[in-house]
Amino acid sequence: MAHAPSRTDDAPLRQFQIVSELLETPPLARVYTHADRTGPVTVGEIVTETGVPQGTVYDYVDRLETAGLLRTVAAGRPAKYATEPVGLTLSTDAGSQTVDTTLIAAVARRETDEDLDVFVDRHGLDGLAAALEYTREFVDGTVNARITARELDLSPLEAEIVLQALEPVVRASTGDGGDC
Amino acid sequence: MTRTAFVADTGVFVRAGGPDNEKYQRLRSAVVGAGVTLRLPRRVYAELGGDPHVDTYPSGSVVEEAIAAEWVTVADELDYTNSLVSTVMDQARRFVAAHTGRDEDLVEKADTALLGLSAQLLNSGHTRRVVLLTTDKPAGEAALALFSNHGFDDQVDYRYVGREFLASVEAETFR
Repeated sequence: MAHAPSRTDDAPLRQFQIVSELLETPPLARVYTHADRTGPVTVGEIVTETGVPQGTVYDYVDRLETAGLLRTVAAGRPAKYATEPVGLTLSTDAGSQTVDTTLIAAVARRETDEDLDVFVDRHGLDGLAAALEYTREFVDGTVNARITARELDLSPLEAEIVLQALEPVVRASTGDGGDC
Repeated sequence: MTRTAFVADTGVFVRAGGPDNEKYQRLRSAVVGAGVTLRLPRRVYAELGGDPHVDTYPSGSVVEEAIAAEWVTVADELDYTNSLVSTVMDQARRFVAAHTGRDEDLVEKADTALLGLSAQLLNSGHTRRVVLLTTDKPAGEAALALFSNHGFDDQVDYRYVGREFLASVEAETFR
């Protein structure tokens, strides 16, 4: 027997839609990541810290709140927003991929790191997700750029560039002084 | 006799960025101020120039200016017939494979050129100590672990070249 579709904000396809938007829209990812990393923030603080225009930030905050990824923690003026974590696993015939807040932070970093932007243009979001996994190991000291290059079919120099570009994202996700 | 030789890896130049970058300028001024040069293994030099796509990256090829200005030099070819060089590189290859949980086949001997050059410099009798500058932690750990077995106790050290290193590097770092 079929079940009535869920109308809640965390229904899978609604989650999928907003996660797709986050992956495809680095400024949106930047707004989410800034709120996620700094704790409850106002729209004004997001505008100041990210440089995203105010009208756009209002639009993004609205979309993220509707999708359940932002919630108001202090009503009143100005309102403060905190994030809910992103966690979505996509499975296809080619394999599965989990999208989490760290991958969203990596997308956000395209805004400020041109190396990363070039890398995503060349290797796509799947390439970015794979490189992010290697960067976790790189930060732990259990892989180097040469092995990464061989396993991801990159040149050693390109591997080194992307590992260094993603290093602050991984370090920030473990509370180890990175910045985004 | 050179008291200390500094051997630099690919990641140092990616981290430093190009001549317009403050981190690069800071590194250059520290090296020049100390009156030393950074030595590049041939393998590292090849890596830095070996990818035609890399020009599209802002942190791509940046070492030519440093070589022209003579604070970076490309080292001699590694002499694989030298048994110390060859043995250290082989041991390093196995160490890196074990340390990274990889098959030995996945780590090439040339990956450990940093250690090969260190061995060659120490073996020449002209160098008393080698400092590796790298972002390759497994290779750095291999260097710390392996050289004492060959009679070079405390003669090889490594610095992880992170943002913190380049933010605080000064001539004193190389003295």
